[in-house]
Amino acid sequence: MKKTYNLSYSANGTKNLSLLGSVKDKANRYLQQRSIVQHLLRILLYSVLLFMALIYLLPLLVMVMNSLKDVEEIRNGSLLALPKDPSLAAWAKAWGSACTGSTCEGIAPFFINSFKIVLPAVAISTILGALNGYVLSMWRFKGSDLFFGLLLFGCFIPFQVVLIPMAMTLGWLGLASSASGLILVHVIYGMAFTTLFFRNYYVGLPRELISAAKIDGAGFFLIFWRIILPLSPPIIVVTVIWQFTQIWNDFLFGVVFSGADNLPVTVALNNLVNTSFGGKEYNVDMAAALLAALPTIVVYVFAGKYFVRGLSAGAVKGA
Amino acid sequence: MAALSIENVKKSYGSTQVLKGINIDIEKGEFLVLIGPSGCGKSTMMNSIAGLESISEGRILIGGKDVTHANPKDRDIAMVFQSYALYPNMTVRGNISFGLEVRKMPKPEREKQVQKVAQLLQIEHLLDRKPAQLSGGQRQRVAMGRALAREPKIYLFDEPLSNLDAKLRVEMRAEIKKLHQRLGTTIVYVTHDQVEAMTLADRIAVMRDGLLQQLASPQEVYDRPANLFVAGFMGSPPMNFIDVTIQNSDSLIISDTEQHQLPIPEGYDLSSYIGKKVILGIRPEMITEPLQHKADLREVCVLKLKTLLTEAMGADTMVLTQLGEKELNCRINPGHQVQMNQYSDFMFDMSKAVFFDPQTENLI
Repeated sequence: MKKTYNLSYSANGTKNLSLLGSVKDKANRYLQQRSIVQHLLRILLYSVLLFMALIYLLPLLVMVMNSLKDVEEIRNGSLLALPKDPSLAAWAKAWGSACTGSTCEGIAPFFINSFKIVLPAVAISTILGALNGYVLSMWRFKGSDLFFGLLLFGCFIPFQVVLIPMAMTLGWLGLASSASGLILVHVIYGMAFTTLFFRNYYVGLPRELISAAKIDGAGFFLIFWRIILPLSPPIIVVTVIWQFTQIWNDFLFGVVFSGADNLPVTVALNNLVNTSFGGKEYNVDMAAALLAALPTIVVYVFAGKYFVRGLSAGAVKGA
Repeated sequence: MAALSIENVKKSYGSTQVLKGINIDIEKGEFLVLIGPSGCGKSTMMNSIAGLESISEGRILIGGKDVTHANPKDRDIAMVFQSYALYPNMTVRGNISFGLEVRKMPKPEREKQVQKVAQLLQIEHLLDRKPAQLSGGQRQRVAMGRALAREPKIYLFDEPLSNLDAKLRVEMRAEIKKLHQRLGTTIVYVTHDQVEAMTLADRIAVMRDGLLQQLASPQEVYDRPANLFVAGFMGSPPMNFIDVTIQNSDSLIISDTEQHQLPIPEGYDLSSYIGKKVILGIRPEMITEPLQHKADLREVCVLKLKTLLTEAMGADTMVLTQLGEKELNCRINPGHQVQMNQYSDFMFDMSKAVFFDPQTENLI
């Protein structure tokens, strides 16, 4: 009795095994097919991405190529052809001797104007943003969330809307057509963004840090200086890049508020392109445009990885 | 003079009252543990003592000085946080000396103090590391070092061990107890872990819903809990509650079954409750297998209970039994065998039994 039981058991066992084997085969075949399909899809994906990247980079490529040609070559050849005899002559002219409106000193002097405006504006708006964010996250007061909400409106107000009120305000303050006036405009306009950045970053820091420091005897500014600021480099980098790019690339505020003596490089570029004696010098235009864009590119190349890291840093607790 | 007096402290957020009039006096050198379920107001109480939150009513005095409206820094307290809250950008040395630096202690003295504290906590080799390079237990030590360095009047511990693993928690618990015995410091300690409360405290303050339920020594809280809540909260597994009717001054009868009789312990005067229902509270360790040496005592009685579940703990075996509709936790010697789903003899030792009024839920 027992023996037969054993036998039937083993027979059942083998049957089960062979069944299992066929299932395995099917599964393997399925997996193989799937991996081929996946492989093809992956290739397709990369081709699409590469194609898109090329389209995106094409204008930059065209600009670089044509800035290295001379005017004759551009006029006779194709825009897309490689330069036959690359030279930096157009770059030199754009920098030092091209005419922008009535003067012919290239865009170099306007570069300095831009820096004079951008550096203080970025510094002040970043510092104010850090302080605002610190207060709105760690020293909340009654209505501070409402205050923050209202401040965020500043991120969504279009430039054009504030032009006239801003001009009147600058007039009252006696800052019309001055570099300081333009700096003030950029600081005010940028503060909504910088506050948002810092506030969201600081909200992720443990509040017990502040409690501990308070019990240790530190006050508002000491806590900011000794505890909070040393934890802030990632978000400072984000804010500085953002503000630098925004203010450097600004055209509208520059053309309206800067006055003739403080024109930023974006306005000068516009003037350069629109000023023509005789033929249009595309090579110089393109070299000037590349020069004007250079600082923001440089900033991004050097600090870009901190930028990406900092944008996601708020999500991770602590530091 | 009390080291810390909490006088009728009330605190509300909008219409919700978190603290409803708390009164506690703590002597110098005393170790007080605030315990209660989450949301009972113990952390709010702690933050109010620290000055991190303002109170709506009442007074707080430290060393006889009214600090109700004083800033945290002017209260001469130090606090150890649950998350440690070490300054991530500073070294261990910086963390410990920050408070001293802010208080303008000269550098050589500061350094001496840091060394002293580091030696006490055995963290001298860690002084130049950043908090991120430390393990949980080491961070805990540094957080304590930061508090100790300032030598304040009162130390506040806010669930300091709850982020540690079980083994380390037991070690650090002993460490805190040793430190307290050695330094004679005044400590207020918040926890929801009743083992921590029992082992560490000179006195335990049990809180619920913003009210103080009982303030007494650990043994008293355990043996004579002020009400049903405290009785059920302290002790694991919790105290058994049985509805009983008082028969006469010597015996009672279990209401569910109408047949089981138990003796009333000596010293308990329940004459005014004769014929009435009360709640009997008896700890699991008082319901055991029949013990020879206790068999003749007047306050002991053997009942047959049905076994539902056994849990071997090593030192003891916990048995869940059934009496009428009620489930009872019993604690027996692991050498004694009981059959599952069978009735076996269990010995009730009523010498430490307590009784609660079913209406007020307070200890009789």
